[in-house]
Amino acid sequence: MSKALLTEIRKYESDTEQCMKCGFCSFVCPVYQEEKIEAGVARGKNELVKAVLAGELELTRDLADRLYKCTACMACTETCPAKAVVPRLVVAARADLVSQIGLRFPYGLVYRHILSNRKMMGRLVSAASLFQSLIMPATNGRVRHMPDFLSGLTKGRQIPSLAKKPLRRLTPEIIRPSSGTPVTRIGYFSGCVNEFVSPHIGLKTIDFLVRNRVEVVMPRAQGCCGAAVFLGGGDFVTGRLVADSNVAAFNDVDYVVTDCATCACALEEYPRFLADTPERKEAYVRFAGKVRHTTQFLIDVLDLPASAFRTSPLVEGKRLTWHDPCHLNRHLGAKQQPRQILNSLENTRFIEMPNSDRCCGMGGQFSLLNPELSIKIGDKKVESIASTEADIVVTACPGCQFQLIDGLGRAEKPQTVMNLMELLG
Amino acid sequence: MLKEEIIRQLEEIVGKGSILTKKEDLATYAYDGTTTWAHPPDVVVMPTTAAQVSQILKLANENLIPVTPRGSGTNISGGSVPVRGGIVVCTTRMNRVLEINKANLTATVEPGVVLQDFNNLLAKENLFYPPDPQSFLSCTVGGTVAENSGGPLCIKYGVTKQYVLGLEVVLPDGYVLNIGGSTVKNRTGYDLVPLFTGSEGTLGIITKVTLRLIPKPAARRTIMAIFDDITLASSVVSTILANGIVPAKIEFVDNFVIRRIEEKMKIGLPVDAKTMLLIDADGSVAAVESEAAHILEFLQSGGAEVARLAKDEDEANMYWKARSAGFAAVYGAARTVIAEDVTVPRDKLAEFVKKLEGISRKFGFQIVLIGHAGDGNIHPSVFTNSREKEELDRLQDTLTAIFEAALELGGTLSGEHGIGLEKKRLLSRALDPMAITLMQRIKALFDPNNIMNPDKIWES
Repeated sequence: MSKALLTEIRKYESDTEQCMKCGFCSFVCPVYQEEKIEAGVARGKNELVKAVLAGELELTRDLADRLYKCTACMACTETCPAKAVVPRLVVAARADLVSQIGLRFPYGLVYRHILSNRKMMGRLVSAASLFQSLIMPATNGRVRHMPDFLSGLTKGRQIPSLAKKPLRRLTPEIIRPSSGTPVTRIGYFSGCVNEFVSPHIGLKTIDFLVRNRVEVVMPRAQGCCGAAVFLGGGDFVTGRLVADSNVAAFNDVDYVVTDCATCACALEEYPRFLADTPERKEAYVRFAGKVRHTTQFLIDVLDLPASAFRTSPLVEGKRLTWHDPCHLNRHLGAKQQPRQILNSLENTRFIEMPNSDRCCGMGGQFSLLNPELSIKIGDKKVESIASTEADIVVTACPGCQFQLIDGLGRAEKPQTVMNLMELLG
Repeated sequence: MLKEEIIRQLEEIVGKGSILTKKEDLATYAYDGTTTWAHPPDVVVMPTTAAQVSQILKLANENLIPVTPRGSGTNISGGSVPVRGGIVVCTTRMNRVLEINKANLTATVEPGVVLQDFNNLLAKENLFYPPDPQSFLSCTVGGTVAENSGGPLCIKYGVTKQYVLGLEVVLPDGYVLNIGGSTVKNRTGYDLVPLFTGSEGTLGIITKVTLRLIPKPAARRTIMAIFDDITLASSVVSTILANGIVPAKIEFVDNFVIRRIEEKMKIGLPVDAKTMLLIDADGSVAAVESEAAHILEFLQSGGAEVARLAKDEDEANMYWKARSAGFAAVYGAARTVIAEDVTVPRDKLAEFVKKLEGISRKFGFQIVLIGHAGDGNIHPSVFTNSREKEELDRLQDTLTAIFEAALELGGTLSGEHGIGLEKKRLLSRALDPMAITLMQRIKALFDPNNIMNPDKIWES
């Protein structure tokens, strides 16, 4: 293969030289910790990309398998003395892989025709939600085996069932505070999970924001954030379609707020990975500057006092522990915001779990491609959670939530999983 | 390339999930922590028992296949680079801590245990294993034994060889040899244990290690000092030691590193200063307080521009974090950074630094110092770009000059990294020729077919 075709990884060529091969990444890499294989860890992946750039290796399917084996948790970068950002390199390499050897079935189909088209996805999901109760038994009274269009890829894991109605059918497009001038106008980015699986969390957030004098718009033209498409899958072409439509949908708001850490992260990454023209660059940079995860928005932008966070009767007297989603903690740098909210909740006890910031092993597409490995990584998280003897593990990323529900359920642990917003009264 | 039949037999020994043969995997076992050496193996096996290692070596020995032992591949000598291809025996999946014996102050571990994982377990028991190569987050215990690793703490606590009490080693013919034991005193014939400690994987594969431990020191204080003159800094180090105070660490960085630290962390260091010393005292609470006070006095009377006793653990951690940041800055500063490992007697430090300045001027490479002042191992780091042929030649001359300067002062070729591939061209100049002959005879005795990590340590 001609080296000239490696457009995306070539942009990171000088970054590949940052690695001094100390191997510190191996100590924190969830993939390496399970497998102890060098190609799993950042140092190994960096060397593989260097070999490709030097023309010593080609972008083969075998190489792709190794580059896809990364949860993008960024623990390597955090530990790296030279701050080499290998997960970015991995995304770039995925993009070149896609343009060289194409997407593997059935992901191409899913990215290009389903995730990039919210209407199509809505129809599929509605159909699935009608049938799920007929064909799938409820598990442990709180979760179901997911009967979705990716069911072949979930390998019998316990995943929450789909909601009867999507969020957009439960809320108007514009919601204004009942009195006074709004302090700001935000666009609520629902994300696929709050849209189709847990619309009640979206409703809760919107309600909380409105009560705190925020005008909330929920643009109907919004779609998938694109994380699975361009970050996980390396399909930058479809990624740009997704990005363009989201940028247009959120044109007239001050902030773009989402409850999903992964969505927030993907939206913020549009300029880095997808801006191929000066126009896109300008539009994506402006858009990314407005993106906040809910926890960041409540603490950093609204600067809400502790008294603003009332405890929901559902969690009164409960012991809580917090799982840091990698996308929130390391990608967005929000470590303290969720803790500040948790510590504000009266009549609850907050207990830090050991290794709260260790990846849960979900990693979006990672868990589909490497289900067994994902489960093993998740089991370590379950041990951490169980050691706190908390009643509830709280997090703020639907992907993590799926993984924790599945892991705790399989291990028959008593803890339930809740989104941070569900705790608020 | 190995025959299909060999691969099949290896797979039978270790199992399907513990063998790597695809070029995309082999490429990631081609390197270690060095910049310039790389060669892929033909196959990587990841055994989990000594019995498997024994079968692997027997097979390799019968078929004259080169074998390179490897832990995490963090060594910086080229030692775990499979220069002749063949089999890499990777010990990372032999990673059980078999016993921590608090009463006997010993621990027995498999070779693939990562040093920091081991340290974390020991800390829970209030125990301490001092050898601290700076790759502690990733290096394996087996690797540190094979390389006889040391680190900043060696000034007070010594290096790995002072802690290895017993070993289980698989010899090249597959024999599983047990040597040493779990007693501190052990005077039973020739001591074969230290032969393997520092053997760089050329004599056999370590499959079990029994280590001596010590109780964790109760207290630690950190002192940071800045000097405008390297000679003053160096003589203060001698004064401290001559007065019967042995700090746990005495670390040294130069002006380049001070500047980088200040840029990154803004902790108020004078950016024109020539040298920063970072000193740790540890031991019982009373001893540490008194030692720290004395060290502070010596620093002040010895001409330090700044001498600060960290008031709490946070401030101490900040200084050590700064030192790590400095280390990272050095490695990020040039495309290729060669960290030399020559070591000089402690009292020759200042003289050595002057010589290094001359070498830097003569050959036109920037040389930065970040190392251990307590033991004369100050790691002159040469900034270069190894992709340019002309520079590569000039670099070799520079490294030779650094080595010669150290040797003139009574120093040694390698303090803690080992010889491997990186330094073998200079070995004959560092040792008595008879010493090399004896080493080669020992090697031939253990490994007559020369399958164990061939082409390392000396030129063949």
